[in-house]
Amino acid sequence: MSPIDRRLLIHMNWVLLGLAALLFLVGVMNLYSASGYRLEEGVSVSSFYQKQLIWGLMGFAGMITFMLFDYRHLKTIAWPLFWVTVCLLIAVPFAGKTIYGARRWLDLGFFNFQPSELAKITILIIGAKILSRDSDPLNFTKLAYVVGVGLVPAGLVILQPDLGSGLNILLILGGMVLYRGLTGKVFKSLAVAFPCIIPAGWFFLHDYQKRRIISFMNPASDPLGSGYHIIQSEIAIGSGRFWGKGFMGGTQSQLRFLPEKHTDFAIAVFGEEWGFVGAITLLSLFCIFLYQIVVTARDAKDLFGSFLAAGVFFYFFWQILINMGMVLGLMPVVGIPLPFVSYGGSATVVNFCLIGLVLNVSMRRYVFKQG
Amino acid sequence: MNHLYESKTQQPPKIGLIILQALILLLFCVFALRFWYLQIHKGSYFAEQARNNQLRQDQLYAPRGLIRDRNGYLLAVNEPAYALGIVREDCKDFDSTFKKVSEWTGVDIGKIKSVFKKKKKRIKPFEPLILVPNLSFEQVALIEANSLHWPGLEIVVRPRRKYKYGKLLAHVLGYVAEVDEEELEKDHDLSVGDFVGKQGLETVLEKRFRGIKGKRQSEVDATGRKLEQRILKNPVAGEDIDLSIDLGLQELGGKLFKGKAGAVVVMDADNGQILAFVSSPSYDSNSFVTGLSTKEWKTLRDDPMHPLQNRVIQSVYPPGSVFKLAIAGCGLHNNMLDPKETLFCPGFLKLGNYVFRDWKKWGHGDVDLKKALTESCDVYFYKVGMRLGVDRMSEFAKACGFGQRTGISLPHEKAGLIPTREWKRKRFHDIWHPGENLNMAIGQGYVLVSPLQVTRFIASIINGGKLLRPQLLKGEPAEVQSKIPLSKDQLAIIKDAMIHTVEGAHGTARRLRRPDVILGGKTGTAQVVKLTDEIKKMKDSEIPYKYRDHAWMASFGERGDKKYVVVCLVEHGQHGGSGAGPIVKAMYNYLFPPIKGENAEENKTKS
Repeated sequence: MSPIDRRLLIHMNWVLLGLAALLFLVGVMNLYSASGYRLEEGVSVSSFYQKQLIWGLMGFAGMITFMLFDYRHLKTIAWPLFWVTVCLLIAVPFAGKTIYGARRWLDLGFFNFQPSELAKITILIIGAKILSRDSDPLNFTKLAYVVGVGLVPAGLVILQPDLGSGLNILLILGGMVLYRGLTGKVFKSLAVAFPCIIPAGWFFLHDYQKRRIISFMNPASDPLGSGYHIIQSEIAIGSGRFWGKGFMGGTQSQLRFLPEKHTDFAIAVFGEEWGFVGAITLLSLFCIFLYQIVVTARDAKDLFGSFLAAGVFFYFFWQILINMGMVLGLMPVVGIPLPFVSYGGSATVVNFCLIGLVLNVSMRRYVFKQG
Repeated sequence: MNHLYESKTQQPPKIGLIILQALILLLFCVFALRFWYLQIHKGSYFAEQARNNQLRQDQLYAPRGLIRDRNGYLLAVNEPAYALGIVREDCKDFDSTFKKVSEWTGVDIGKIKSVFKKKKKRIKPFEPLILVPNLSFEQVALIEANSLHWPGLEIVVRPRRKYKYGKLLAHVLGYVAEVDEEELEKDHDLSVGDFVGKQGLETVLEKRFRGIKGKRQSEVDATGRKLEQRILKNPVAGEDIDLSIDLGLQELGGKLFKGKAGAVVVMDADNGQILAFVSSPSYDSNSFVTGLSTKEWKTLRDDPMHPLQNRVIQSVYPPGSVFKLAIAGCGLHNNMLDPKETLFCPGFLKLGNYVFRDWKKWGHGDVDLKKALTESCDVYFYKVGMRLGVDRMSEFAKACGFGQRTGISLPHEKAGLIPTREWKRKRFHDIWHPGENLNMAIGQGYVLVSPLQVTRFIASIINGGKLLRPQLLKGEPAEVQSKIPLSKDQLAIIKDAMIHTVEGAHGTARRLRRPDVILGGKTGTAQVVKLTDEIKKMKDSEIPYKYRDHAWMASFGERGDKKYVVVCLVEHGQHGGSGAGPIVKAMYNYLFPPIKGENAEENKTKS
């Protein structure tokens, strides 16, 4: 059977693909507005949106690649992939390249590769493999096994130190565990234990991370740093009011922000220019987008595919939750981009690749098992 | 249909699916509510904030550390300076604004535009970009009065360096000026428009002078008017620094050099502290702070007197007879010179076909070491030089600190030159000729030294042989770099000869003589060019300026526990005694104020 069967195309979740493309274009447009402002002054950041378009094309290619093979092959390579990822993560502190004071990158010559990005994809595949063995709710033993597997890459990433990505890995896996379900006993125990574990985590935070949390509670305590962001971001979004100030008409978000306006605070620009109407539209697009992934998880041919989709769901869900929560002043400032909308090369490519993975699951839901 | 994949165990978790959908709903509800709260409920509040109150952060300049002399007199201070800045974000029409600025300040509009173009890449749109760095009070008043009609223009008050004695200390202090691109790249604490040290101590001690900038947050209305300001971080002033320089002495030196080119250095022989550091002519440090026009810069650069040249450390001259002190030391050190031995001086020395002349045509007669130094007999040193040879002489001269940098904390110091056979072979592809030993022995030929090297060498003669690093900061501990290889007795012989040069009836530094101070000296005349017979026949005053010899006077003075070295070089000053002597004498009068009456003699014998 040729890799592209007509039936494959018919069964593919076209709505999901369309939404991803739409969100990406909204992001490019928003970036154009954010950086193209005052082009007459020759501000060089205008090239951001052009770069983003190129990343989008690369992401599209990645997406096609992730659609071509049968996702069930991933089950076979799950463990080798896991160990390769672990090895790369171990290599980072020794062979890594330091950028912005953190050693997180491996220099592959043509581009800087961030193993923690790979770890997010790996955890979703290995998680799907482990969790799809049967469908009973998880008991303590099984949960401990799953958590143990997740802690290896997550711990290595946190040690880099990259707390954000490390927690992200755990959150993706945690979401998948939630999807699978826990026995009543496990659920109750965790419900009691969590409130105790979280304050203890405070002591593991770096000073700058603590400062962010404190400034979130009280923005005035750090008006220079993250508090400044929160205040500015609220003013920008709030001043957009119902209809917004129009495309490229934002005054608050334009360049007054620090560089993050291209990346983490993209939605502040959007909220100011498109107002409540635009913000709710964008929010709805994201929700439908997430729902389409849920639909794929529901209709998947097998549990492995279903869990893969669930993993991708949580991959996006947490990012949307944390980024919007941060920009809207509901959460401390952490550097998490908004999927498809924020500027960012590798993030864009990874996002499209994961969409490719979900499409892969959706298009093979009725395929006959050969041989 | 393949039933394998439809078995019950392969059904997706039902509750799980519900949870996922519930999460989406939750996400939507929470954020939709938040958007509603920010944009609808509080929308008008935030819109008002956006319209009226914009938060901006700007920097507060840290005052640069002050510079004082050893007695606490201020040499470099900061004064408020007014600059015209433009806030890009508030400016409505750049072209007409530039036109107006040009009209007000008289600065060419093309220049304003190019400054704007260059700086805007590095300055945030809401920060004032300095268009015109220095405004007069009249201009400030004019602009303030019209500023309402020209949104975006802003008077920026910054501390500006002011050198109270601009010309007097330019070669020590250097100056500050606006940072250039290269410095911005290298040092990320700097931002466009900052002033940094470019020359002298200002650049060497840049990090100590600089201080730490502060931060201010301003609320600004839509037209750019500042409504309320809050200081987030106070600036920290840079470190104040006291120099070893004695302002009075420095002023005296400057005055004595008026109209002359040259250098005079005063050093405390015990610890290397520099009390006076005069390089003449000089330039005004302040002119670089306010910015030189191209024309002014050209005038300075092309001035035939080279005011930018730091003659104390960057100019190297043949030492002339001053070098005889080192040659005498070399002879003693190598046991090739007995102080009592006399050599006959008929006024010339023949070597092969060449005749080497003494400055005294009719000769000095029988000469011992003391007389040779006191009267600066050339023939005596020709003979000594022949005996020693270039290898010994250059080795010893280097041990005396010649031909190498003194390590004073000022940039661009020159090492000078002590020739060796090897050097000559490389430089001229030629062997060292015996006649060159003779030239070298009287400090001519290839030998080149800086006034500061001579100063350090003279200090070592009277401080027990210590070669000190010259210090420009008060209270800096003495730093002995090496010792010259002479014993106490040998040093005493040279010192005694120097004293005799002042005290003796035929000494060449007689004019320094004072009853109340022990003074020793050595004069020197450094040939600038090989004089033609025609010029040789002229009277001193008829010789064209550029052909006149340089005049050296190296000296020390002791009274009580004070030991100073004064070294003076007057370019084209012709004779050490007459050219440089009066300057040195006046310096000693400052260093050792005359003691009146009969105590004078007594005081001298005591010390």
